[in-house]
Amino acid sequence: MTSERKFICVSCPLGCGLTVTLDDSGEVTKVEGNTCARGESYARSEVKDPRRVFASTVRVRGGKLPVCPVRSKTPAPKGKLFDITRAVASLEVEAPIKIGQVLIHNVCGTDTDIVASRDLEAV
Amino acid sequence: MYDIVIIGAGITGSSIARELSKYHVKIAVIDKASELPAGASRANSSMIHGGFDDKPGTVKAKFCVPGNKLWHKLKDILDVHLDECGSYVCAFNDDETKHLEELLQQGKANGSAGVEIISGDELRKKEPNVSPDIVAALWSPEAGIINNFEAVNAMIESARINGAELFLETVATGLLLDDSGNIRGISTNKGDFTAKIVINAGGVHSGEIASWAGDNSFRIIPTKGEYFLLDRATKGFIHSFLFSCPSKAGKGITVLQTAEGNLMSGPTATEQLDPEDRSTTPEGLAEVLKGARRLVPNFPVNMNITTFAGVRANTESGDFEISALKHPHGFVNVAGIKSPGFTSAPAIAEYIADLLKEEFSDLVTFAPNEKFIPERRNIPRFLYMDMAGRKALAEKDSSYAQIVCRCETVTEGQVLEAIRRGARTVSAVKMITRAGTGRCQGGFCCPRVAEILSRELGIPLDEITRHGGDSKLLVGKTKEFLLKGAVSE
Amino acid sequence: MSERIDVLIIGAGPAGVAAGIGAKREGAERVVVIERDWDLGGILQQCIHPGFGLRTFKEELTGPEYMHRFIQQAHEAGVEFRTNTMVFQIDRENNTVWTMNKERGIESLNPSAIVLTMGCRERPLGAIRIPGTRPSGIYTAGTAQRFVNMEGYMPGKRAVILGSGDIGLIMARRMIWEGATVEGVYEVMSWPGGLRRNIAQCLDDYGIPFHLRTTVTRIHGQDRLKGVTVAEVDDHMTPVKGTERFVECDTLLLAIGLIPENELSRMAGVDIHPVTGGPVVDDLLQTSNPGIFAAGNVVIVYDLVDNVSDEGLIAGTNAARFAAGKISSAKRIPVKGGENVRLYSPQIVTGETDSTIFMRVTHPIEKACRVFAVTDNGTELYTQRLRYARPGEMNEVRINSVKLKESGNVSNITIDIQEVK
Repeated sequence: MTSERKFICVSCPLGCGLTVTLDDSGEVTKVEGNTCARGESYARSEVKDPRRVFASTVRVRGGKLPVCPVRSKTPAPKGKLFDITRAVASLEVEAPIKIGQVLIHNVCGTDTDIVASRDLEAV
Repeated sequence: MYDIVIIGAGITGSSIARELSKYHVKIAVIDKASELPAGASRANSSMIHGGFDDKPGTVKAKFCVPGNKLWHKLKDILDVHLDECGSYVCAFNDDETKHLEELLQQGKANGSAGVEIISGDELRKKEPNVSPDIVAALWSPEAGIINNFEAVNAMIESARINGAELFLETVATGLLLDDSGNIRGISTNKGDFTAKIVINAGGVHSGEIASWAGDNSFRIIPTKGEYFLLDRATKGFIHSFLFSCPSKAGKGITVLQTAEGNLMSGPTATEQLDPEDRSTTPEGLAEVLKGARRLVPNFPVNMNITTFAGVRANTESGDFEISALKHPHGFVNVAGIKSPGFTSAPAIAEYIADLLKEEFSDLVTFAPNEKFIPERRNIPRFLYMDMAGRKALAEKDSSYAQIVCRCETVTEGQVLEAIRRGARTVSAVKMITRAGTGRCQGGFCCPRVAEILSRELGIPLDEITRHGGDSKLLVGKTKEFLLKGAVSE
Repeated sequence: MSERIDVLIIGAGPAGVAAGIGAKREGAERVVVIERDWDLGGILQQCIHPGFGLRTFKEELTGPEYMHRFIQQAHEAGVEFRTNTMVFQIDRENNTVWTMNKERGIESLNPSAIVLTMGCRERPLGAIRIPGTRPSGIYTAGTAQRFVNMEGYMPGKRAVILGSGDIGLIMARRMIWEGATVEGVYEVMSWPGGLRRNIAQCLDDYGIPFHLRTTVTRIHGQDRLKGVTVAEVDDHMTPVKGTERFVECDTLLLAIGLIPENELSRMAGVDIHPVTGGPVVDDLLQTSNPGIFAAGNVVIVYDLVDNVSDEGLIAGTNAARFAAGKISSAKRIPVKGGENVRLYSPQIVTGETDSTIFMRVTHPIEKACRVFAVTDNGTELYTQRLRYARPGEMNEVRINSVKLKESGNVSNITIDIQEVK
């Protein structure tokens, strides 16, 4: 018994429609519809361990803006995104902040870090 | 304790307040809105009528032409934008041309200066974009178009300069009478206002207010008028005010260029029960568009920036209801003021001052206020200044070197001055400075105006409202919201 | 006497910063970018989601990260930036640029060349004339994005999104991540306005309903928005009776399109294209007013910031060449759009350099098709097979200057996308 899953690739703006064929043990046997290698690896990850880059803001003390944009350095498990939103919401950071500065190591045990995505001067 | 309390700070109430501030009397003006103008004075055709439209002998006819004359003087005294552009009533056939003849005679009887009938071709020389099917037009040179936002604010500001007190977000809830049944004041949501004279300038609510005094002699029929407002880039598409020929259905759809240069069209005339329903409707907007295209076939509706509706206080008689009641002593109706109400307001105000002196000399002494200051200056309008003036202003006050509203070129200095003059909401700043009236309708400046209000008034940003009441712009801070609120999963 | 500036650039978004880099690299001495905000980066400052710069940097960056890299390059190249400064007028007679700034007051500048990089703005509610009331809680998606991402405030708790432009889709997810509810996205057209991947990762991931051929027909609520009526539309985009439905919400976000922002261009007397809404430009990105160049979303609204930066570089380079007297009046070949071309830019080819024409189709073609450019004397300048063509996704036509020269006497070029039979 094989099964098929269809979804849109989110790796680049093309948004290719992917069709993934899985065997009965859930192993990927075929990826179709992709135009590049990124699509292939996205498809394999999406059926086994779907991940997304998380992007939000953290509260800032004494900065030129009251919030600073942050992101997960690498894609985080999709199922953990709401845990991450709360972890990020609880954080407050002192300005100045440098782009790339790690604000939360290994957020919610996901092996990815929350980093600042801009420089933010202190007032 | 006041001598006089005026219910309603529309153009009628404001004009009366200013007129009465020429005397040594203590005046309170209350309005339920958070900013002015709010009711019919806000959403109307902003027309200063020529005075040919009202049947001789009516109350309207009595006040329209004198009101028109007063506005031509007040525009300089109060520093208000009035485009003295004249108006045309357009006829499409012989029947309508005949009607123009009647209007011409009526205008002459009312003392409307310079009215004349011109041919369709003559009209098209002046207004090339009007319909080729128009055969004749009634020209009224004294008609004009006023910036109604400015006018109401200027009028009330002038009244306040001369001592009148304004109370916003104050809703009248009933009359206070003494033991002998005379006026003792009004009750409101903010407490009682004791006064010897109460003036009912309550617009669409004036019928209800009159009934508190036991006067059920007239009824207000709230009548909605819907409008299109187009981008100021349409300036010059037409240059004046175009009426359709009046029919049984009313004055019909008009097309005009506002005092600021926006093309505008409306209103419909839909009777409704709810005096507060200012929503636009698909049917109403379709009717306006049809009427606009009849007058101006290429009406560039794709340059529309907003649609809005106003509710006017029509009466069954079709006329204004102005009277001092015998009982209770001290109560005056200035009710059912609809078109040409804006035009008539200053003349009505003069009449009311005389009426009060005559009827209520037992209650209040009307000694002239020698210190009355007639003039009032508007906030500098950066948009209309020359470069030398702008430079000088910016040098004197750097907040005039910062644009807040891009579309209407409104500077931070203007917004700050509006706040100094009493603006407390985003919409109040809009009424006074025009920030947010342009093509992006506040998309750019609304957050900036809100920030300035927050900073200047010391109010958190998420407490700032669009137009008072529950119209807060924001619902809280991001992270607090997430941690407190339920996360949707 | 106003100061000497070789290239003046208006707006420090992605196009303006790249234009600055291009002008400096071409050798212009004084290159000044005017920016009205206190910080550089334009709208990308608030686009904190990843998805930018894959083509340029081979990785997906957030908006601020993407701009950070360009701004560093600009600083290294010696571009001068004037923040908190706004250009509020350009005189068409002599291209005098008027700026204002709280410290410097009102100043006039007479640069040798100007690059217009003011970007675009969002279509407001008035443009679509929805009946109903006018309560608070109605924002363009970009305004809401600024509130959430830069000011730290929530515009509402329960949102409906009208239009499926990318900013609307991105904001749907952003609202969810801040704990709000999104009732649905409503799109009047039969196809999405934004990228398919954004429908997948911003809506589908969170179970947000996406309704095509449906629009908001009425707004409810006096003070704060209480809800909207939505209805399906027919082929003429007229609401279908009987399909109306009330949707409770306190926020309506509009993602109904972007308009190039050309108030200053009009003041400068630059010809504006009636369809793109941006200046008519040639392949050097020079406008109809010599010495005034334009690039980025002020010209035509792009899908990808990489293209905006590329165009900025080109405009900056050519502005520097103009300032140095290196651009002569070249030959100008008009480009015409074929049957299924809604808009395109540039509209004129000089043939001085290789160039790219960006275009959008009017109707989607969901099968094999071909994008091409052909001269009036029958030479095919470019052809490329495509798997599909969609209005929401730009297509490109490349014009090779050598090939153009070889094709002889050309008086116009037609571009189009057609089905492959």
